[in-house]
Amino acid sequence: MKALEGLIVVLVMCVPFIAIKSTDLTTYIYWSLVSAIYLAYIAFSRW
Amino acid sequence: MLMLYALLLYAIIGTLIAILAKKKLLTDEDYYIAGRNVSGVVSALTYAATTYSAFMMVGLVGLTYLSGVGALGFELFYLVGTLLLLSYYAPKIWKMGKEKGLITPGDLIASRYGEFTAKIMAIVVAIALIPYTSIQFVGISFLLGNAMSFESGVILSAIIIALWALLGGLRSVAWTDAIFGLFMLSMAIIAVFYAFSMLPSNPQFSKLGELLYVPNSFWTPVVFVSYTLPWFFFALTNPQVLQRLFIPKDEKSMRRMVILFGIFGLIYTILVTLLGLQLRLLTEEGIFPKVGNRDQVTPTFLNMIPEWLAVTIALSIFAAAITTANSIVLTLSSMFSRDLLKNRSVLAGRLFVVAITSAVAIFAIQKPAYIVDLAVMSSTILLCQLPLILGIFHYNIGGRISASLTLIAGFSTAIVMLYTKATFGIPVSIWVLVISFTAFFLTAILEKRFKASD
Repeated sequence: MKALEGLIVVLVMCVPFIAIKSTDLTTYIYWSLVSAIYLAYIAFSRW
Repeated sequence: MLMLYALLLYAIIGTLIAILAKKKLLTDEDYYIAGRNVSGVVSALTYAATTYSAFMMVGLVGLTYLSGVGALGFELFYLVGTLLLLSYYAPKIWKMGKEKGLITPGDLIASRYGEFTAKIMAIVVAIALIPYTSIQFVGISFLLGNAMSFESGVILSAIIIALWALLGGLRSVAWTDAIFGLFMLSMAIIAVFYAFSMLPSNPQFSKLGELLYVPNSFWTPVVFVSYTLPWFFFALTNPQVLQRLFIPKDEKSMRRMVILFGIFGLIYTILVTLLGLQLRLLTEEGIFPKVGNRDQVTPTFLNMIPEWLAVTIALSIFAAAITTANSIVLTLSSMFSRDLLKNRSVLAGRLFVVAITSAVAIFAIQKPAYIVDLAVMSSTILLCQLPLILGIFHYNIGGRISASLTLIAGFSTAIVMLYTKATFGIPVSIWVLVISFTAFFLTAILEKRFKASD
């Protein structure tokens, strides 16, 4: 479970390397949102 | 000159806090982990202030300015990695600490792999953390560039760092961390708003071009992995933050520490990288000079804004640097005196505080490399501990001999490769992980067989 969760987190964080190539703040916002959602998941769902 | 007065005022206030926090220092448990009785909020702020240092407002601002949004990805990889690791391991480590009376990360290692391994670990981390600690001295000295020489800045910061660690142990470090942690965050917000006010009314971020996506000419996949991998495991491999897991007063406080730290880290990372992007856009607009040395981006920004604001922001960076450095110095002193010398007196730890601070100051005066690169270097070397720490919770094999050999193999690999740069196109961090895990499992299997045949 830990390994699977870690793998999913890493893969989702790597998305900008393969799927986002725009000259606006999309990558910036994407990474910020993913981190915020993961933090919320740990705070409200895991614990 | 105002900067110097402000630093002296900061030093006086911090010293007063350290003196006020100095009470009930009866045992080494009081001195090093504040008697295992710290609230969730203070634990979170001391964890954040220990983690976020001059690396952020000097190093990461400059790295974002130079390389773009990839710097945010690099730092947020650290944050999600830390949340992942802490959410699983922090409760276990906290519980072990309480049940077995663990005080240092070395105690944790010794509980499974014996005291000899903890001695080797103390030496490894003391050497590994010299580059990371030195960046705090370097960051402060860059900011004091107009007020005094670089060398004088290093010496002044060394005195403050050693003094606060000597005065009150972790209780004073935790309190100064908590107060100055909030100050760091507030000033980062103000810096971002001020930089935003300098931008044209409708800022065109598209002018930043390749800086807004990855991969780009700086953030190739190999570079990204070499920066990110050591950082991903920071929460388990850096002893100054691992030791923080022993300090919350109960399990609820420990969980609160992790969540509040995550919130602090996310906000602070977004602010710092946004400042870097704003300053780069200001350069593209012809408002901010093009800065070649990325560690000089923040000092250049501070030279362009009103002096009172520059001094206040600089003070928040001093706070970030000093809170990190004195936490590291305190952790190293605990490991050196307790794990290496087996001397439980606080005096031995205090002598080591002076010794390690002096060693770091001498290293810092050489201006060895960019701030971010020095930080990554330390965490790369520290990766050699990872098989041992994971082994405590997951592997049934591995003892004194295999653990010691793993540390020696991983540490040697890191030092040789960082020095010779002979990495064959593969990040040093990957080499260190592969060698360390291979050494651990191979020697652990052999150790088990020899024990079975005895």
